[in-house]
Amino acid sequence: MEFLADYIYYIGAFGLIIIGLLIVLVKHNLIKVIIGLSILDTGINLFLISVGYLKNGTAPIFSRTDLEPGNMVDPVPQALVLTAIVIGVAILALALSLAVKLYKHYGTLDLRKIKEQRW
Amino acid sequence: MRVILSILVLIVICLGIVSSLHRIPFGNPETKIGKYCINKGREETGAANIVTSVVVNYRGFDTLGEVTILFLAAIGLGSILTSMSKWSQRKTEPASLILKTGCRFLLPLILLFGAYIFIHGHLSPGGGFQGGAIIASAFLLIYLTFHGKGMNETGSKVTESSSGLIFILLGLIGLAVGNHYFLSNFLPKGQLNDLFSAGIIPLIYIAIGLKVGSELAKVIYNLMEKS
Amino acid sequence: MVNPILLIAIPLALAFAIPLFGLISKKIIRYIPVAAFLFNLIISISLIPKVLQQSIVVKISGFQPPFGINLFVGPVGILFSTLIALTGFLVSIYALDYIEKKGSTEKYHILFLILLTGATGVALTGDIFNLFVFFEILCISSYALVAYLGNKAGIESSIKYLIQGSIGSSLLLLGIGLIYGQFGTLNMADIANQINSSSSPALFVPMVLMVTGLGVEAAIFPLNAWLPDAHSSAPSSISAILSGIAIEVGLYAVIRILLTLFNAADFMMFVLFLGLLTLLIGEMSAFKQNNLKRMLAYSSIGQIGLILFAISLKTHFGISAGLFQVVSHTLGKALLFLAAGYMIYKTGSMQISSLNGIGKKMPITSLLFTIGSLSIIGLPPFVGFASKLMVIRASLASGDMLFTILVGIILLGTVIEGTYFFRVVQSIYFKESNESVSRSETPVVGLIPMFIFALLIIFIGIYPDCISKILNAASSEFLNRLDYVRSILG
Repeated sequence: MEFLADYIYYIGAFGLIIIGLLIVLVKHNLIKVIIGLSILDTGINLFLISVGYLKNGTAPIFSRTDLEPGNMVDPVPQALVLTAIVIGVAILALALSLAVKLYKHYGTLDLRKIKEQRW
Repeated sequence: MRVILSILVLIVICLGIVSSLHRIPFGNPETKIGKYCINKGREETGAANIVTSVVVNYRGFDTLGEVTILFLAAIGLGSILTSMSKWSQRKTEPASLILKTGCRFLLPLILLFGAYIFIHGHLSPGGGFQGGAIIASAFLLIYLTFHGKGMNETGSKVTESSSGLIFILLGLIGLAVGNHYFLSNFLPKGQLNDLFSAGIIPLIYIAIGLKVGSELAKVIYNLMEKS
Repeated sequence: MVNPILLIAIPLALAFAIPLFGLISKKIIRYIPVAAFLFNLIISISLIPKVLQQSIVVKISGFQPPFGINLFVGPVGILFSTLIALTGFLVSIYALDYIEKKGSTEKYHILFLILLTGATGVALTGDIFNLFVFFEILCISSYALVAYLGNKAGIESSIKYLIQGSIGSSLLLLGIGLIYGQFGTLNMADIANQINSSSSPALFVPMVLMVTGLGVEAAIFPLNAWLPDAHSSAPSSISAILSGIAIEVGLYAVIRILLTLFNAADFMMFVLFLGLLTLLIGEMSAFKQNNLKRMLAYSSIGQIGLILFAISLKTHFGISAGLFQVVSHTLGKALLFLAAGYMIYKTGSMQISSLNGIGKKMPITSLLFTIGSLSIIGLPPFVGFASKLMVIRASLASGDMLFTILVGIILLGTVIEGTYFFRVVQSIYFKESNESVSRSETPVVGLIPMFIFALLIIFIGIYPDCISKILNAASSEFLNRLDYVRSILG
């Protein structure tokens, strides 16, 4: 139980990553694949944030001048995740616009039927 | 067949990651850069929010790349979606009275809240990206309520481009005067916890906030109009 | 001395300013990428003598590495940056006439500028998260450019490329997260300082994740299923950039992670066999193609396999040979795609059989296409011969019996290449076309970049010594990790 309480964030993050990868690899509806990509991104961002956590730490903001710098969580992963979230949003926007255009051309969103380019 | 293969691949990946996790204990991170930024952040950058000083000053180049990626998303979306059927030509129900009244009441409050978040990025949690997203949600509210209200294309283009140019120009000015490094903090750092402190950080965040707000509004407009 | 940060900052500023220029006049937008890459080319060439003496370390925002980001402009970085600037300059001159669409073409030029800025950023950076950000800039702009024409093939290829590419970059980010969790720093030199060998599982797993993530863009087998579709459905100037720059820059990132960051020794043998497998499968698939651009795309896969093989020999000679092969592939493949662009436009179809007799209709373009093909196959006096000879000599010089057998496989690949390229050349010159034979040549604006590529191919082929100094310096940079660490961290 100690183990579970300590590592619950890692287990949750990897659960999301595995679920996201499974959806992308197995499903054949394009919208579900795009949702899977989004879940994969969320899982990785959660993992990155939980790497920087300090036990019983507080946010790294000196809102009062007498705050102790020794008890603050790591600010660098938060900056990395900020960038990663924006990148995920950009890819999602592009993927959705391509899905709209794909539906116009083919009339279906089934990836098994969108196979005009062959060997 | 494909399902079984994917599950096997995932089990291998899972085992691999778990076996390398024992070097990263939870709650006791190995932080060389983090400690340096927390200890020296206040005197080197002048911002009270250490995450802001990391995002804009220590890793400012990454933020420049991130701003470029959002710009790319908006331009890519605009170049792929080029249809002609306008929103006003479609048969939709007009919005209810509650939505219209709520929009008129909430819109200035949302814009004010968003502007507050990106102007005070260096003093409290928040910053350019967060504030920009809130401003874009205000535009989403307008599109949902008042059908057919177009967007001022020229205005949003000018805001987007000039905010991006301001970011790079601030970096190039830092190269020419001051410390002779790109993106160095050349304005006076002022008193901690003041609104006008931390050199170029609030200026960069204001530029980013406006840019992100207009870009996300344009993305939402394109997706609603042209699909 | 000019600050190398301008190689990234000025094209980015011009890309942000293009919509503002577009409000004033639509005609000058086409000339902005030309100006930007001319500027980049002049700065890169002027920095070469300084870099060969001592590598430049640019501290951004004035903070010491590892606490801030730094750019490392060494011989490898300046070689790639010059190559990118040169190719960008010539292809943007080609695009002055080739790209036309109703409405304005400003979105194409913005995406084009940002793609090449991202590639320059990947080549020059010294920080792994910065590498990830610029790599994403490169990938996202290429997803949007592959779908630029908006036809059925383009959208389908782009969505498949996007799904595979974003899985790859998520794996790359996961690897970066694992590395940050163990070492607490994101600077390449700092991490390289703390790693001696990569055999423990705690280091092996992030390495495999990062190489897989970057390998999707570098087109290593089995991650290159997106490449034939994407490179054949994009507009021809973009195919030239994707085949000539984007996959090479992806390969550079893989090599930087393997050699400088992780010091992988036995993993390189596995990479060597992957390179050979890529070479064989690429050449054999190109052999059965009927579509001209798909054939050229599979040939790119084969050449990447050859470059990967040369670099995984891990000797000084081998890495120089691999980098020389990068230069010759970029020049040759860009020329082929540019020539193919106008040939496909004039005949209206991408099938090889429809190119019958085009030698009489477009004589200069066909001659330049033939020069490009002979260079890729590896015939003298072109640069492809010099580079392939260097790869074979590097492989034989390692003395092992195994490498001598592998040279046989490379020669087999060359024979297959010769077969399918000669099929196209035969179709161009020796077959009669069905329609009337009137000369309708490529416009001059399209011919000038192709001429310059052909001139460079012939010139470097005859005097390979003109770039051998920078190749040797680049190869030493990859092999001496400790010098790299010392010049950044002091």
